[in-house]
Amino acid sequence: MTKLDTPIAAVSQARPRRPRATGRLLLNAALAVLFLGAALTVEVDLTRLLEAPAAIWRILVLMFSAPDWSELERASGLMLESIHIAWIGTIMGAILSLPLAFLAAKNVTSRTGSTVVRQVLNAIRAVPELILAIAFIPIVGLGAFAGTMAIGLHSIGTLGKLASEAIEGIDPGPVEAATSVGAPRMAVMRWGVLPQVLPEIVAFWLYRFEINIRAAAILGIVGAGGIGEGLSQTIIYRRWDRAGVYVIVIVLATVAIDAVSSRIRRRIIGGGDRAIKTEADMVTDGHGQSGPDPAKGPNPRDFG
Amino acid sequence: MSAAGVESAPSRQRRPARPRRSPWAYVSVIAFLALTWWAGSDRFGIGFSVPELIENATRAGGIVSDFLDPQWIYWTALIGPFIETFQMAVIGGVIGCSIALVVAFLASKVTTPNTAAYLADKALLNILRALPDILYALVFVAAVGIGPLAGIIALILFNIGVVAKLLSETVDGVDLGPSEAAQAAGGNRFQQIRAAVFPQVLPNYLAFSLYTFELNLRASTVLGIVGAGGIGTLINVERAAFRYDRIAVIIVAIFVIVFVVESISIALRRRLV
Repeated sequence: MTKLDTPIAAVSQARPRRPRATGRLLLNAALAVLFLGAALTVEVDLTRLLEAPAAIWRILVLMFSAPDWSELERASGLMLESIHIAWIGTIMGAILSLPLAFLAAKNVTSRTGSTVVRQVLNAIRAVPELILAIAFIPIVGLGAFAGTMAIGLHSIGTLGKLASEAIEGIDPGPVEAATSVGAPRMAVMRWGVLPQVLPEIVAFWLYRFEINIRAAAILGIVGAGGIGEGLSQTIIYRRWDRAGVYVIVIVLATVAIDAVSSRIRRRIIGGGDRAIKTEADMVTDGHGQSGPDPAKGPNPRDFG
Repeated sequence: MSAAGVESAPSRQRRPARPRRSPWAYVSVIAFLALTWWAGSDRFGIGFSVPELIENATRAGGIVSDFLDPQWIYWTALIGPFIETFQMAVIGGVIGCSIALVVAFLASKVTTPNTAAYLADKALLNILRALPDILYALVFVAAVGIGPLAGIIALILFNIGVVAKLLSETVDGVDLGPSEAAQAAGGNRFQQIRAAVFPQVLPNYLAFSLYTFELNLRASTVLGIVGAGGIGTLINVERAAFRYDRIAVIIVAIFVIVFVVESISIALRRRLV
């Protein structure tokens, strides 16, 4: 017993050595160089950043101290158009993304096939909606139709990707069961795969609808319909009292629709044993691919 | 004997009755169809029509054929604006994410037990996130003038909204043990956060920051459309001149750059968390 005591006490009283910080130092240095490089070369006097809060506060006061409520009717009408754009665009994206999602899932399609479809989906996602709208305006003309096409196309990319990842996470049991009783390929998809992923996919559709409302609220800036048109006009003519009304309408509409939609989403997914995927999960695991979950607690290796 | 066997066999083969559908299923299908008709109709909604789309897209000549015949040589003119776009994304990202770090700790009950401060911060974040980034840019261009400064301010606010929300949710879920240990050893609130909470959320914080840099790049390509600097400025110029052969080049360039940065960022994020 005494033989053991002394060495342990001696070891534990010495402070463990600090882990090396070379990697972190390098990262910080790289970040500092990047930031300073950008800050010094950008053609802006960044000290003006300090004056900005005052200028912004002045405009906020102009906007919300005495809003011109006579603009409310036009603002609500245009917001409704934005909601229409988001709704039809989401449906378009949902319908077209579903078959693509099956084609992009590795456990359903061949490896090369899924890689190709996956890259196509990534490519669609890479172009912002506003740019897509600019591309659609010359084709279908100014107005809400162009905005709908832009939102629909962009949604195919995001929805297809999320849905394909949901399909990759299914339980293979039902698929094997369907195959073992001689079901053709389409029947396996319909009865073995689809029922497992549909709740999750429908929740993704609703989530996308919430995002699309925000996108549809700005499309009007380039003339693709919706409330952005009225808002940008009032701002260009410095009618801040009217611009305030537009901002209030946008905030109220998005917050209200978010609340309804997220309740429906919870109803659809809740009840099952599946956890609701949050935005944070999608970010940290690289858009939905499974990895170690930081919320489940510290990594056991950290105690080694 | 034979009678019993004949009787039981058919009854066993009978299919079980289908479960009844809930009446809510019908109600929601009807509501869905009605909403869609309303939103898509020519009279009340946006006037969605597939034949019109096909007719317009296949019309010979004009803008569509310009689009399909890009003036590739134009890419040299894009280098300067793209550098500006990068600068905006970096500056806005670094400042925004740094401020978000403080805001996030204020927006979590774990690190901010004061209910009033916590709720106020949470409400502020919700309002901040309700508005799209380009709308901020629209206002700031009016406030501080045309140019990248307005875009940078818009990106800062946008990043605070995104990172602070995501990070505060991560802080909500940290293991409380280390924090209690720090408190037991006499650490004040700042020391508790610095020594016990921050290390737990650091990988997530870095992942969120990378993610917002990616979002920034995508956002700052369009900020120029409202005059807030970057590559979008060029889109506006060429659009006014109806040079759709050049706009096609810009779109392809945006696509390539966003695609490359996103791939790098996703790979890095996977290693982080």
